[in-house]
Amino acid sequence: MNNLKKQVLIFQLNGEPVEIFADPAESLLTVLREKLGLYGTKAGCGKGECGACTVLLDDRAVNSCLVPAGKVQGRKVETIENLSQGGKVHMIQEEFVEKGAVQCGFCSPGMVMSAYALLKENPQPNPEQVKVAISGNLCRCSGYKQIEEAILSAAERLKN
Amino acid sequence: MSYLIASSLDEVLTSLRDGSGKARVVAGGTDLYLQDLPYGLVDLSCLKGTTVIEQEDDLISLGSAVTHTAAASSPLVLSRARALAEGCEVIGSPQIRNIGTIGGNVVNAAPAADAAVALVGLGAEAVIIDIEGNIRQEAVENLYWEYNRSLIDSTREVMISLQFKPCMDGEGSAFTRFAARRALALPMVNAAARVKLENGLVKEIRLVAAPVNPAPTRLVKTEELVIGKPVNDQTISMVERSAAEEVEVRGSLLRCSARYRLHLVGVLVSRALKTAAERAMGQGKAGE
Ligand SMILES: Cc1cc2nc3c(=O)[nH]c(=O)nc-3n(C[C@H](O)[C@H](O)[C@H](O)COP(=O)(O)OP(=O)(O)OC[C@H]3O[C@@H](n4cnc5c(N)ncnc54)[C@H](O)[C@@H]3O)c2cc1C
Ligand code: FES
Ligand code: FES
Repeated sequence: MNNLKKQVLIFQLNGEPVEIFADPAESLLTVLREKLGLYGTKAGCGKGECGACTVLLDDRAVNSCLVPAGKVQGRKVETIENLSQGGKVHMIQEEFVEKGAVQCGFCSPGMVMSAYALLKENPQPNPEQVKVAISGNLCRCSGYKQIEEAILSAAERLKN
Repeated sequence: MSYLIASSLDEVLTSLRDGSGKARVVAGGTDLYLQDLPYGLVDLSCLKGTTVIEQEDDLISLGSAVTHTAAASSPLVLSRARALAEGCEVIGSPQIRNIGTIGGNVVNAAPAADAAVALVGLGAEAVIIDIEGNIRQEAVENLYWEYNRSLIDSTREVMISLQFKPCMDGEGSAFTRFAARRALALPMVNAAARVKLENGLVKEIRLVAAPVNPAPTRLVKTEELVIGKPVNDQTISMVERSAAEEVEVRGSLLRCSARYRLHLVGVLVSRALKTAAERAMGQGKAGE
């Protein structure tokens, strides 16, 4: 065990290698927002209960507020910023807009990331699987129905 | 703080030794990260040895850092230890299950931790190694010191795996729980059952409920009553009554009153037994 508070962390972020000098006890959420300027990932409860901070770690949805930065060493992190490419938003995001699944929008990045993780693993989910996939994401505005519809219609688009 | 992602068990043990009580093992971090962090963390969640699920001879062995997601979707667990799959698939949320581990669930020592209750129901033993290299094996229910405190000292001991006998022909297991919501809610009560039937009569049985004591608790008196009986409606009602009589529970302002909790113990233990027995008789889906 060395005495340094900070250490060099190298990981893959949105397809690119990044190297930062950070306190490994800091949360991945803090690192993303405050060190790397990626504000798409939202800070909500800070204790795993709201899902606003959802990112993908090695292709699986996790609460970035609960992940110590030290844990991402050598691993792959994907945030909401990676979904729009070449100035065009991802089709999951298009469906959220289309179905009216965004109201205040605070939960949306986390919701979209949970949906994205689901469709990566299971491109043709049934409605129950969609509900489970977003069960760790709270939305205070929408009532969830439109969000479920948006995800199902994104899956429908994947089929075609 | 320093953070090390260990690449071998040796490295974990060496780091703990060097940390002289100030470095601690971490797996998913979902419990630990919300507490005061120690001076050093040694992460064992990327080790091959702690993330495998396998059957060797007549034992199923799961690495301590197997995530809830991995346990709940493992074909081996689903077919031979259904209670554990059911316990893991209701924990927290997908985000928590993707990173939280079964070993962390046991060592965190919450009295009604879902995976831990299922593991005690199955009769699991933990394999533990200390920094001197001594290996011991302990029944999961014997790893609790007091409420929310494990007997495992994570600054000098590492749980490597959890092992139990698979449910073979004539055997079944089940897990039940009741909470205020279907996600992100800790259970008011949870329960697990494992039963072996012979000629339609109960030959062996384990019934477990929580939170009753610091550790998931076997209901030995109720178990004794059921031995030699068929699992019919009469037996199920008897179990419901006896389970609630056998335990003393505390109420919680946050979750539910003691009286309601006692009622739930009876209902959930008897339901777990009923489902486990149906599985033992092959009435559920094939292989359950
Ligand atoms: C929002 C939220 C919801 C939750 N919902 C539930 C729920 O519904 N049901 C439930 O049961 N739990 C729930 N939990 C608790 C938690 O997620 C689980 O207990 C989880 O299984 C802990 O595993 P972990 O790998 O994250 O543990 P960690 O946080 O990594 O570790 C927990 C403790 O165990 C020690 N430890 C871990 N692995 C080992 C090892 N191999 N050897 C020795 N010591 C070790 C650590 O030092 C620490 O003291 C929830 C947590 C959160 C944040
Ligand atoms: S901010 Fe991470 S779950 Fe709420
Ligand atoms: S749109 Fe406002 S919280 Fe979901």
